Amino acid sequence: MIEIVPSGDSIIIIKELNNLKSSTLTNYIEKLNLTEIEDVISLKNSVGIIFNPHKITSSEFIKNIKKLISNKNLTNNKSLKTWKIPICYDKGFAIDLDEISSKCKLDIDQVKKIHKESTYQVDMVGFLPGFLYLGNLDKSLHLQRKKNPRTHIPEGSIGIAGNQTGIYNIESPGGWNIIGRTPLRLFDKLKEPPIKIKQGDKIIFEEITKKEFNAY
Amino acid sequence: MLNNKIEILRAGIYSSIQDLRRVGFKKYGIPKSGPMDEYSHILTNWLLDKDIYSETIEITHYGPKIRINFETNVAIFGSNCDAQLNNKKIEMGVSIKVKSGDILDIKKCIDGNRAYLGFSGEMKLKKVFKSLSTYEKIRIGGISGKKLNNNDTIYFKNIKKPKIKKIPSSFIKRYDQNNIVRVIKGIHFNKVKNEKTLHENDFNISPNSDRMGLRLTNNSIKINSNDEIESTVVTKGTIQIPRDGNPIILMSDSQSTGGYPILGNICKVDISKISQIKPNKCIRFKIISLNESNRILEYEQKKFKSKLSIDLSA
Repeated sequence: MIEIVPSGDSIIIIKELNNLKSSTLTNYIEKLNLTEIEDVISLKNSVGIIFNPHKITSSEFIKNIKKLISNKNLTNNKSLKTWKIPICYDKGFAIDLDEISSKCKLDIDQVKKIHKESTYQVDMVGFLPGFLYLGNLDKSLHLQRKKNPRTHIPEGSIGIAGNQTGIYNIESPGGWNIIGRTPLRLFDKLKEPPIKIKQGDKIIFEEITKKEFNAY
Repeated sequence: MLNNKIEILRAGIYSSIQDLRRVGFKKYGIPKSGPMDEYSHILTNWLLDKDIYSETIEITHYGPKIRINFETNVAIFGSNCDAQLNNKKIEMGVSIKVKSGDILDIKKCIDGNRAYLGFSGEMKLKKVFKSLSTYEKIRIGGISGKKLNNNDTIYFKNIKKPKIKKIPSSFIKRYDQNNIVRVIKGIHFNKVKNEKTLHENDFNISPNSDRMGLRLTNNSIKINSNDEIESTVVTKGTIQIPRDGNPIILMSDSQSTGGYPILGNICKVDISKISQIKPNKCIRFKIISLNESNRILEYEQKKFKSKLSIDLSA
């Protein structure tokens, strides 16, 4: 059964997805082009919809969405995209590599090997413009966020925190442990969409040298 | 036509161009931005016969001094301000005809934090993600993605000369009293350990608040936080409780997801008001049901429709 709850007068959250992936539901809801919808946000295990409460009340809206979803035989899209992202683990970029290595009790080569060998899944896009939260980080690399967040993390920095690795696609403050950097500009404010990677997509990291990084 | 411009002689503390058009980009982490006080923004546009989504200049605490080089109507609404046209005091909440060469000088916001300045023309600026709203973090909207600066020039097109209008007194708000803010319980409300203090004690608005969020101090909320909280969707008006217990009310430039427990969401009608409450002033939360919030919204919608012919559901 699909479970939908209101959060305030302008958000509803689809909590139980009935074995559907949140990206599947998100795609379907976006394509409905309902005028009351402002934003559909795909999270790991839920979908949030921000709507205009002047157009519909949340109880009516929940009823409509339930009906639309249950009348439709939705199946999960199996052909999710896989993106290959180059990463450079040079210490000039990976400013926390030594700390990660000592806290996780692994040598630096092991840290890199473990980090680049997993296939990650995009749990969420957002918080900051274009920030990618990637799930499936190996347990041996689970670390808390830094106690004192940095005021400047350069664009392209890749960090780890908790059970996720993440990509800072704009320069910003941040508290993640920085493990590397990608030369790719994944977020472009002059384009629509500004980022092509979506919630649910897969990410594979490919190690490059500093020389290769600079040649990008 | 090229002379249809205004020149910013003094930018003020934080003046930025905002509209209500940046809808649908939160999935990329791009906030809606827009006016903190949507109510006053909408009424400023009404004074100039413009739709509710149109751009205004949001003035914060102390406003700009502007030379206007064409004939147009202007309007200011929101916080009461000490404002002058060619050194003569002018009123808030009415549209005013100005001539080429006139100097508009908006000084201090008196009872609130922000006022909105509109013109009866369209700003000739490039829309980014459908909107002129300034969002400095990624330098989009406004003039080159920045707040107004001294010596900036803004050009205008499609200048209309609508008749003079005045905002009816039933729409005038005062911001220095009655700071009760109505809140709908949030999805983590049941984790609150000291519910009594929430109902009985005031919070202070911290001076450390900005367009992303209003920080509250002086009354902390204790949360039963043994279990992990999964990130969920948040929006303008969502009240988050970070680890230190001091609530943050998310505002126009806020993110779209959050991992902190959610105490509640301010009912939509009260969000504009809270943006005007001055730093160090008190507020108190009043919990209302979702149905009650919907009734308040419906009442507001009918009032706008019947008295001003504004369709908030447009």
